[in-house]
Parts: sequence; C-alpha cells; structure tokens
Amino acid sequence: MWRKGLILVAAVLLGISAFARTGAWVDEVIFFSEPDMAKAIERMIAGEADLYAYSVDDIDVYKKIIESPDLYTVSAYGAYTELTFNPYPADPNVTPKEFKNGMLNPFAVPRIREAMNWLIDRDYIVKELYKGLAIPRYLPITPTFPDYARLLVKARELEAKYAHNPEKAKEVIFAEMEKLGAELVDGKWYYKGQPVTIIFLIRVEDVRKEIGDYVAGLLEELGFQVDRRYGVSRDLAKCWIFTDPAEGCFHIYTGGWITTSISRDQGGNFDFFYTKRGLGVPLWQAYYVEPEVDKVFKKLAYNDYSTLEERQELMEKALEYAMKNSVRVWLANEAPVFPMRKGLAMAVDLAGGAYGSWLWSYTLRWTDEEGNPVEGGTVRIAIGEMFNEPWNAVAGSNWIYDMMPIRGTGMPVVLPDPFTGLARPQRVEKAEVYVQEGLPVGKTLDWVDLQFVDEIQVPADAWVDWDAEAQQFITVGEKYPEGLTAKVKVVVHYDPQLLKDKWHDGSTFSVADILMHYILTFDRGKEASAIFDESAKPDLDAWLEYFRGFKIVSEDPLVIEYYTDSIELDAETIAANAAWDAFYSQGPAPWHAIAIGILAEAAKEAAFSSDKADKLGVEWMSYIAGPTLDILKKYLDKAIEENYIPYSNVLGKYATDAAERYQNLLKWYEEKGHFWVGNGVFYLESVDTVARTLTLKRFENYADPADKWLGFAEPKIAEIDFVGAPEILEPGTGVVIPVNITFKGEPYPPEEIDFVKYLLFDAEGNLVDVGKAEYFGGPTWNVILSPELTAKLPSGTVKLEVAVSSKVVAIPSYKSITFIVP
Amino acid sequence: MGGYVDNIKKAQITEQISVQVYQNPAYQSYTTEELRKLIEQKVALEIKRLGLDKPFIRFDSLYGFFHSRAFMYLINALTLSLGRSEHIYSSSGSKQVWLIIKERLPYSVLLFTTASLLVFFASLYVALILSRRYGSIWDRLSVALAPLSTAPSWFYGIILILIFAAILRLLPFGGLVDIPPPENRIMYALSVLKHMVLPLLGWFISGIFVGVYSWRTFFLIYSSEDYVEMARAKGVPGRLLERRYILRPTLPTIITSFALMLIAAWMGAIITESVFNWPGLGSLYMAAISQFDTPIIVGLTVIYAYLLGVTVFILDIVYAIVDPRIKVGGGTAA
Repeated sequence: MWRKGLILVAAVLLGISAFARTGAWVDEVIFFSEPDMAKAIERMIAGEADLYAYSVDDIDVYKKIIESPDLYTVSAYGAYTELTFNPYPADPNVTPKEFKNGMLNPFAVPRIREAMNWLIDRDYIVKELYKGLAIPRYLPITPTFPDYARLLVKARELEAKYAHNPEKAKEVIFAEMEKLGAELVDGKWYYKGQPVTIIFLIRVEDVRKEIGDYVAGLLEELGFQVDRRYGVSRDLAKCWIFTDPAEGCFHIYTGGWITTSISRDQGGNFDFFYTKRGLGVPLWQAYYVEPEVDKVFKKLAYNDYSTLEERQELMEKALEYAMKNSVRVWLANEAPVFPMRKGLAMAVDLAGGAYGSWLWSYTLRWTDEEGNPVEGGTVRIAIGEMFNEPWNAVAGSNWIYDMMPIRGTGMPVVLPDPFTGLARPQRVEKAEVYVQEGLPVGKTLDWVDLQFVDEIQVPADAWVDWDAEAQQFITVGEKYPEGLTAKVKVVVHYDPQLLKDKWHDGSTFSVADILMHYILTFDRGKEASAIFDESAKPDLDAWLEYFRGFKIVSEDPLVIEYYTDSIELDAETIAANAAWDAFYSQGPAPWHAIAIGILAEAAKEAAFSSDKADKLGVEWMSYIAGPTLDILKKYLDKAIEENYIPYSNVLGKYATDAAERYQNLLKWYEEKGHFWVGNGVFYLESVDTVARTLTLKRFENYADPADKWLGFAEPKIAEIDFVGAPEILEPGTGVVIPVNITFKGEPYPPEEIDFVKYLLFDAEGNLVDVGKAEYFGGPTWNVILSPELTAKLPSGTVKLEVAVSSKVVAIPSYKSITFIVP
Repeated sequence: MGGYVDNIKKAQITEQISVQVYQNPAYQSYTTEELRKLIEQKVALEIKRLGLDKPFIRFDSLYGFFHSRAFMYLINALTLSLGRSEHIYSSSGSKQVWLIIKERLPYSVLLFTTASLLVFFASLYVALILSRRYGSIWDRLSVALAPLSTAPSWFYGIILILIFAAILRLLPFGGLVDIPPPENRIMYALSVLKHMVLPLLGWFISGIFVGVYSWRTFFLIYSSEDYVEMARAKGVPGRLLERRYILRPTLPTIITSFALMLIAAWMGAIITESVFNWPGLGSLYMAAISQFDTPIIVGLTVIYAYLLGVTVFILDIVYAIVDPRIKVGGGTAA
C-alpha cells in the first residue's frame, strides 16, 4: 500500500515538476562562429552543431541537408531580388531617349520596362536558378506579408496579367523600339548606325549572377547587344547609386533587398521605390511618375486616408500603376532554409528566419518522438561571424549574428508574432488605444481595446521633452502653454509581474529601468548633455516629430499614458510602440548597468556609439569583453562609492535600491567576468571572443511557464485540396466545388481563417469573376458557381483558383484547377 | 580630391544605410521625406566619421598636402602610430589598430612559426641526407614529388578537412578550440594543439617537397665546389666535410632564408586561415582588404616593413659572426 502511495506522490511531484518548468526549455545554448556555410553543414552532419542559424541559399549545400537523415529545414522569406532600370530620361516630354553620350536608353520607355515582366519567366528563375529556394514575386509588396493577403484578389489578377508571355513582350518591345527610331537589321537592333547596347550591372555574390546572365540572354535573343559588367556590391554601387543616370553608366542592375521582420504595412513601398522622394541619390532623382499616380503613392506613404477600405482602393491602384511604371521589375522572394537537427524545434520568423526570431529563446527545445517538448539539454548553434562589434545595449553591435544571442538574454514587454508580425503581449495586461476619428486603424487581438474619439488633448503634466542642462523632463504645460493635441493616446497597463521580475544579477525590475530608457533616448540627442552623441540626434529629431508625451498614471500597478501622432494600421503595433521597457535598440539593460556606461562616456573614456568613440578617439563600449571592461569596473567602483544615481532629479524617486543593485552588479562581474545583465530566459554565462563562442544558460528565476509561447512553434500554412471537381463545365448549370482546407491533415479551424475566395480566369488570364467560398463543415468549404455565372463563361479552358488567407499566418495559400467549357 | 576608392566607399555607405533604415521596423511609420532626411543625415555622419569629407591627397598647396589623409597615413606609419581602424574591431571590441594586430599576432605566430620551423628544419635535414645520396631512389623520389608543392596549403587543408574531419571525424573542421572552450588551461592548450594539426599538416605537405628539392640542389652545388673536392681528396671524413665545408659557408644563406621565413610566417596566410577559421593576421588582412580598412592595411604593411628592416639589420651582424669572410669595420678585401 505504502509503495502505491509513494508512487502516487512521486507521480504528483513529477507532474508538478513538469508543469513548473519556467523560462527556457533547454538548459544551455552554445553559439559559435562558422562563417563558411558548407563547412557549417558538414559540422552539423558530423554532430558538432544542432542548428545553423544563418540562411542557406546555396543549392549544393541544401542538397547535403536534404540527404542527411539527421537534419531538416525551415524556410524564411525576408530577401527579394529585382531588376533596377535606369529610366533616364523618364519624363515623357523629353526626347530622344538618349543618355548624354548619345547611347539609346530603351528603358526610358515605360512600355518596354513593363514588357520585361512578360519577357522574364519567374517560374524558371525560381525552379532552375534558385532550385526551389525562392517563390516568384511580381509586385512591390511581399507575397508572404499581410498586405499581400489583404490584396490577394488584385495581386493574383495582376500576376495572371503579367505572367510569362515572351511573344507579347517581343511585340511590345519591337513596336516601341521602332518608335524610338531603332532599326532591326539581321536580328540586331541599331540606333543611328550603332548596335543598341545594354549595359547590365550584374552582382556576383549570389544567384543574381545567374539571373543577370539569364536576363542578358533574353535581351540578346531580342537583338540587343548586352555589355555584362560583373561585380560585387562595392564594385557596382558607385555606378548605379552615385553616378548621374544621364551619364549612361548603366541600363539595368540586379538589385536585392532584405527585411528581417514582417512588415504589416507596405504602403510606403511605392513612394520609396518609384518616386524621387525615395532616396536623395542621383538614380532616384531620375524617376518620373504621372501626377495622379504620384498622388496615390504619396497618400499611401503618408497614411493620408481615413478608412482601411480607402487604403485598399489606393493600394489596388498603386499596384497597377507600379506594374505599368516598372522602373523595377520584381523577380523572386528568396526562401532560404535554416537547417536543424531532427528532434530540435523553435519558432522561426517568416521574414527574419532563425536569427531574426524574437521567440527563438522561448521556443527552442528538444522534442520526443511525438513532438512533445523535453526539458533540459544543450543546443549548439553555428552562426556567422560573431563579435564583429562590441556589445552594449544602447548603441552596440547591430550584427544579426550578435542580435540572436542578445535577444535571448532580454525580455521585451511586447513581442512580434513570428508568422503575422502582430504584436503580442509579454508583460502587458492590456492596452487602451484611442485614435482620432477618421484615421485608418484596426485591431485583431483582444489585448488591445481600440476606440475612436473626436479629439485627444495631451495633459499639461505629461512629459514631452528633456532639458539636458537641468536634467529634467519638460512638461506639455511648459513647452506648449497653449495646449497640445495628439492623434493617438495609448494607456498601457503593464503586467504586475513586471515589477517582480528579476534581472540576471538578482536585482528587481523597477520603473526606473523603463525611465532610464526614455531619458537616454532624449539625453544622448541633446547638445547640452554630457553624453551628447551627434549620431543619436537624427533619430531623436525624427522621433520627436511624432512624439506628443507620456505620463506615469500609476506606479504599482504600472500604468502609463503615451501620446503620439504616429499612425499604424494595427492598434497592436501602436500599443507596442507605446509600451516602453528596458530593451534598448541593441539589447536589454537595467538602469544601474547603463549608469556606469554613462559615467565612462561623460568622462570621455569610452562611448556607447561607434561614431562618438571615433570622434573622441576612445574605445566603443563593450559590456562583455575588451579594454572597456576595466573602465566600466572603475566606474562601478565609483558608483558604489558615491551611491550614484544618474538623472537623480527624475530617477531619484524610483531608484531606491541603488546600493543593492551596484553590489549585485559587482558580484555578477566577479563571477562572470562581464557586465551583460539581461532579464530574458537565458543569461550570458561565458564569452570567448577570440574563439568566437559564447554560452547562454537557462535563467532559473524567469517567471513564465516554458510553454507560454509554444503555440507559435510552427506556421499554420493552409493546405488546399479540390475534392471531386468536374473536368467539363457545362455553361448555364450550377456547380458546387468542394475544397478541403487543412493543416497537417487536420481541418483548418474556420475561426482562424480570414477568408476563402475563388478567382475565375479565362484562357487569356483575364479575371472573369471573384467570389467567396462558403464553409460547409469539417475541412470543407464550397465554391458555388451559379448557373448565371457559368452561362457567361467563354468557351475554352477556364482556371479556377482558390485562395485562403489565414488570421494566424501571413502567408496565403492558393491552388488552382482548370475546366473545359464546351 | 577623394580618389576612386572614396567614391566607392561613399556609394557603399549610401546603399547600406538606405537598406538599414528602410528595413528598420522602428521607422515604419515615417514618411518617405522623413526617411530620406534620416538617411541623408546618417550618411553624412558616417562620411564624416570615416574622414571621407577630407581630401585623400592634395597638391594645390603645402597646407592642403599636410592636411590630407595620405600624409597623415604616412606620418602615422613612420612613427608607428597605427591609429584606429575604420570598420574592424578586435574580438574584444577595440578599434586600436595596434590592439587588433596584437590580438591576432600570437595565433599567426603560433601556427605559422611552428609550421615554418617544421618545414624548414625537416627539409634541411632531409636535403642534407639526399645530397649525400645523389641519384639514389630516395633522391629521385624527392625530385618526382617536388611538383606537389605547387598546390597551396589551403588546397591540402580542404582535402585534409574532408578526410580527417568530415569522414573520419578524428580532428576538428577548424577554429581555435573546442566548443565550448575547456575551462582548464592545460585542456585549453591541448585543444588548441588539436586544432592546429590539420592546418599544420596542410602547410607541411605544401612546403616540404619544394623545400627538400631546393635545399638538396643548393647543397649539391656547394658539394661540388673546388675546396670541397680538395678536402674530400685529402680524406676529410664525411660528417666533418658536411659540417665544416658545406654547412658553414652556406650558413648565411640558410640564416637569411630562415629569418625571412619567420617574418613571412608572422603575417599569417590569408586563405589558409580562412579555410580553417583561424583567428590570425591572414584572415585580418583579408577582412581589411575587403572592407577597404586603410589603417589596418597600412598597419600590417608597416609592421611587416619594420620587421623586414630590423631583420636585415640583424642579419648583417649575424653574417659577420658566422662567416669569417665578412669583416666588421674598415678592413679591405684581400
């Protein structure tokens, strides 16, 4: 009997123990540098690494991963490629379309640029050049980001319109070339007796080399002479960015862009990529768009619309205009993979991949055969070059290789959803977002309460600026005696747990940690400050254009009000921007760790930023290694001696535990040999900057259960299957076409689906009809084609495409079938 | 006047900052005008930080020349004031060129001095033996194997990695120490030694055959000198003949070769270090060249130049000691 009892107690204890796991799933994470991608994979196969946190885009390396029985991959979609054209002279009234040297520029003609969309076979690029590690991209918006899902119907319509059609491309280009006065002689184009030469700048670092050769080949087939100029970024940048386009330094350049986080509003892309306003460099100044197009692009960039419906209309128009302008022809969204050892899992960001994931540290885990998390263990992560720059939270290293471990040591109060980019609360209970009536803001998640109001008055006692001489905040009443209004007010109710959370050195989180972040944002950009930094000023000035004030409403529980004129489409993003914490731009830090840096910078012995370090001729501050550790230690001793509280006029009230905190930091430094103190699920145990490796260990005092973020382990990309679709569609008869929408064989929950739409295209690729599918039950949705609709269908082949937009993942799914209409 | 490289640098700065600002979610709500202004301000600051707002070289006036960057580089180089790098940091986070070099130097010295010493003495020893057995099967074999040295050490390195790391899994792929690094110092040192095996072997295979061939030929030439033949005819024993009549007069050449080899070893090996992910001066050189980090390139070159100068100076003294034919002072040749 007692044995049974003992077993019962043990089982209960085990159950409690399993339930009680907090923070990270694994006990230890070891990062090490392995800049060579091929060698990194060999090391994974040899069992020396469990994850390669840098993207693999080399097809030979990818094959090795696929062949290995121990590895698997996950994909991300942050980078994209395009063809950048030199449109000089883009103004339709300027003729002839020649550079100053007399060379013809066919790409000054929008119709020729537009025709390049038909000439290029994006499927070929994706399948043959990228070998499947990319998806086609036709539009200036990313096909895996939320705007694409919002504009799915228009996007698919345009993609059908601009599908590969070399005959049409040839027809348009030939007609336009003749209009330009060029002659086709023996299959070669001549202009004023000279062959028409296209100067093509081709980047060689990646697949753009093959893309360049492919496009050059297509142009040569059309009769152009192509001067292929190969080079890396630095070889070509001067020509395409800095040289006056009128000089004719180039016609086409293989461009590439990267984004490491999901952008939920790509409305500004049109203004940035197609108008003179985009960049103040010569190439952009050669851009030309019609005034009515310019108006649409500008409205989208400046959020100059009142409703989301109006934005939708503007976006649809902008997409059409952009394709007609085609000063850029979009080619592919790269889909590099991140290899992992089987049995290892983590949330990978759809844009940022493994290294850009904010949830990696919370979700990294070993799993059993059923896929359930296993507690403990060590994970070895190979990554590119680490420690290229010093680590400090304020303005330290911004290298993606460093930022991954840095993020693991911090705890932002709000985190981005890795699959939709929507902000989700970590230490915020709720946020009330008040928006001025008529502004286009919506909300998706329950933690945000969105309300529209007529006017938002900023209270006179809210802090709106900083007096660096007096070391005091300036209130709205002082700066704007006539009063101040804002477009948005956010009331952030922090989770009470925040003020109980521990920093890695044992100090307790306090309001002073958040206030230090505010103060430093102001103080470093103010000329009167002892730590003024010229490089911080542009950011501060730009931020102040929108900032309208903040106020601490309650200290415990912590509630703040935040006022701004900055508008985002999602109330969640607005709330996230208002919910300040102690995670600076380059990492987490408690106020007392920042304080010793302030002393060092004020004494001109080290500096937070690279710019200031260069200006002073001192070292850039590193909290983890190098000569500045001794400097920081010196100022820690000074801070202990003087019980130093920076900005005591403000922080004095909140930093009541200064002595205890400094002692904690001293003990931490003596134990660990560095000053990197965070509050995330991992702490920095050791660093070897020469061997380029570091070890993170699980922080046992982290409060949240380990399974808190497990729901974000895998993107739920919908799978579509047509069930029993007819092969022949009789005109005038009604048809119901069932479609199964699933994820991993299970029905996709209908409450997680934003919409299921169908698109009908005729044989020419023209959109004939659009409609919504109806939910039937289980995994099944029905596409219902009425007799009236089928009666209108032209005879021939008709394509039916079903598109699914999910609420929980930004990537839409689509699948098509074809029918014969007799 | 900024020079072509300055223009390349400015274009690169503009491109990089534009992409950084454009992709930064913190600026997502900014208008295009504000983004552009921000980019322009950041570009201007970076250009100023790198000194690209000052001319590289000017000849229009003396003042202009003395205030140009080229002149400052020259003065810094001559005074061994190596200054600060433009982009590259030491692993510990310092921008002092001297500290960056100092951090990397020991690892290059450790690996390549060891490798060079091994190659040098092994080839010298084998060459001496072979020169005594001219025409033997071993001698012919050494001649036949000499072309193997046309392949660089990194080539052998890749093959060795493939065999010993990827297939046999006996030795590491590269790097300095095991991951995580052992905490015990002895274990740390042993781990470093283990990581040195493959690059050493690569370097050794690449250097030994040509080394043996060159020294063997060198000794053979000296072996047929008249005074050696005379001594041999007089019945001087083989060992004594080798030591006194061949090695001694060739000592200045051997020492010169040894000294120059040591200096070359201190500069590391650009590709070999990259293949083995070895944190030495070679990989630093590569990074500096690819990033146009002039102060680092100048620093490395200057140190090499000074080392060369000092070595030649020391060699002059050593020659006088080891070679009785060389006199110090105003003696006249007989």
